[in-house]
Amino acid sequence: MTTMQAKTAKVLLVGLDGVPSTLLANYMEKGLLPSFKKILESGYNLHQMDASIPDVSSTSWTSFMTGVNPAEHGIYGFTDLRPGSYRIFVPNSASVRAPAIWDIIGGTANGRTSTLHEYYRGVFKRPLRSIVLNIPQTFPAIELNGVLTAGFVCPDLRKGTYPEKAYDYLNSIGYLSDVDSAKAASRKDEFFNEVFAALEKRMTAYEHFMKNEEWDFFAGVITETDRMHHFFFDAAYDPGHPDHEVFVRFYGELDRIVARLHRLFMDMTDGTGFFLTMSDHGFTVLNNEVYMNAWLRKEGFLSLDGKKEYFEQVDAGTKAFAMDPARIYVNLEGKYPGGCVAAGEKEAVMRDLKERLKGLVDGEGRPVIREIYEGRELYSGPHSGVGPDLVCLAHDGFDLKANLKKDEVFGRGNFTGMHTSYDAHCILPKGVETGMRLHIEHLAGLILDHLKNGIE
Amino acid sequence: MDHLTELENKSIFIIREAYYRFKDIAVLWSIGKDSTTLLWLCRKAFFGKIPFPVIHIDTSYKFPEIYAFRDEYAKKWNLNLIVGKNEEEIKKGMGPTKGAKLDCCNELKTNALKATIAKHGFKALLLGIRRDEHGIRAKERVFSPRDENFKWNYEDQPAELWDQYKSTAEEDNHFRIHPILHMTELDIWKYVQRENIPMTELYFSKGGKRYRSIGCKPCCSPVESEAATVDDIIRELETSHTSERAGRAQDKEDAYTMQKLRSLGYM
Repeated sequence: MTTMQAKTAKVLLVGLDGVPSTLLANYMEKGLLPSFKKILESGYNLHQMDASIPDVSSTSWTSFMTGVNPAEHGIYGFTDLRPGSYRIFVPNSASVRAPAIWDIIGGTANGRTSTLHEYYRGVFKRPLRSIVLNIPQTFPAIELNGVLTAGFVCPDLRKGTYPEKAYDYLNSIGYLSDVDSAKAASRKDEFFNEVFAALEKRMTAYEHFMKNEEWDFFAGVITETDRMHHFFFDAAYDPGHPDHEVFVRFYGELDRIVARLHRLFMDMTDGTGFFLTMSDHGFTVLNNEVYMNAWLRKEGFLSLDGKKEYFEQVDAGTKAFAMDPARIYVNLEGKYPGGCVAAGEKEAVMRDLKERLKGLVDGEGRPVIREIYEGRELYSGPHSGVGPDLVCLAHDGFDLKANLKKDEVFGRGNFTGMHTSYDAHCILPKGVETGMRLHIEHLAGLILDHLKNGIE
Repeated sequence: MDHLTELENKSIFIIREAYYRFKDIAVLWSIGKDSTTLLWLCRKAFFGKIPFPVIHIDTSYKFPEIYAFRDEYAKKWNLNLIVGKNEEEIKKGMGPTKGAKLDCCNELKTNALKATIAKHGFKALLLGIRRDEHGIRAKERVFSPRDENFKWNYEDQPAELWDQYKSTAEEDNHFRIHPILHMTELDIWKYVQRENIPMTELYFSKGGKRYRSIGCKPCCSPVESEAATVDDIIRELETSHTSERAGRAQDKEDAYTMQKLRSLGYM
């Protein structure tokens, strides 16, 4: 009986970085994703899901794995500033302040806690084992009850993998933690080859760990989707596009891989395992890049000293600056070394910013900003103080960026796709609905509820 | 035989063996604790007079204490010192704050060393790396061939049994020889203590901080430590669990990460 229960409590999650729900629906309708369609017909629903705000992978994946908002887990973007300074740093796994799903079930929270963790306190009396492959924001690998290899950004596969034996295996098959995106623009064919090769390696590795390790929770993420989208999303719906064929072929490969993992999992669990796929954000076609710091400069909020690096460029008289993608921070006195906005003036500066942001239009008079949130509307928790004062979301087509080197507000780069916050996807078994529109922070709770069944 | 003497004997054997096999040989000296210990061992191996050149790769960004120490002991120990420098790139303004840090390391360290090796026709270099420094170094051999691009194919190296070292290589290649590969950080400090080897003051605590690993000034951060003497350092190491290169590894990882983020349109 115990074995049976333990078996049925297993969860397999396939993460598809940046795969939009609308694209899956569209491709299924066109018959381009036969296996996805078959899986859905066997008892699953495709949901549109909200990503975290900002809708970048580091923040959204951390919201997924911890099941809490950035003010609890502490990750607001790929980069942040050291407290009391303009010094940029790259938050890593050690910067994540809340325990992940695998820490909660594996007994490795090690003092980290969160509202979600509190909710399950005492539930997982027997530690459960996890296999965690390629989830962003998990480098360097922190010891867990199971296996982990870090996703983006992973500068060192060995340091990104736990335990050593898993590294030896991944190294032996030539596993790639990421493709070289720098090639997408200049050496397209090489980039495509690498994308397909990375996908194949992931499949090999995921299957290996599924079959050869003990586990209760298995999460494997595919990153290549996001990479393809950044550079070739304009090819997604345009059969006349020169890269449409390879884009569709790529999705065909994905369809095959997801089907294989699903089948393997169903065989392992006699058809009773909890299977889900999800993404950390959606994607849409990019028409314009919008450089928030260039805009802030133009509007007189920001002044830069070009001789310095990154945010140390923030110069005297600066009232606000932006970090990727559109997190705006008021240059508050006492908070930053060059802060010049007094606490009493902060509200006025924010009001002024909001008014002007609403008026931001492109050359053809189209409004850029869809939504402006104040930090306090989005975030609550012990780390809300380090969060942004304002966060903007743009209308589809306008990709907000915080590049400090741009002089013009609008521009174009090599990218043809941009993230969306509202069109992430989640495929869940029928009956596992929450009754409300899904948000990425909900998933950890759904997974933990299911895993709980494996504990007597 | 005590532990330190055993380590010393092994190192001296490798140094002498290397010199016997390769006449065009030099030792790399970064002025750090490991390569200074290596230099000390070379002096012991040849009774105080090192019969080959000592190379210092100068990025121009080293700590002033490093230059002072180098010049003082080059004179005292009567070294045949070769300073390798990528003048062209330094003139062009290459530095850790200009662009990617990896480019800086590559130009001012790797390429400067390549040029120095080519200029003097060295066939072998003695290096002060240790097996416990970093994961990948666990795979290092005492005699380690590098090809013309400085690439090290660690999966294609012969076994080293006892003292049977592989010491022949293709043309254009050079050998890297690691006489202190078998020592740990703690062994080094204990040996420094026993031999009273002089060390740059950067290693010793001032105002609650000291350097545990030194290189270029802009890319090294001190660690919190009260260890102001060699004895203190030994005590600290015997109870410490943080990595020796903790103050350095981060920079390289960050440089890689920044490059990755830029390739996806961030920054």
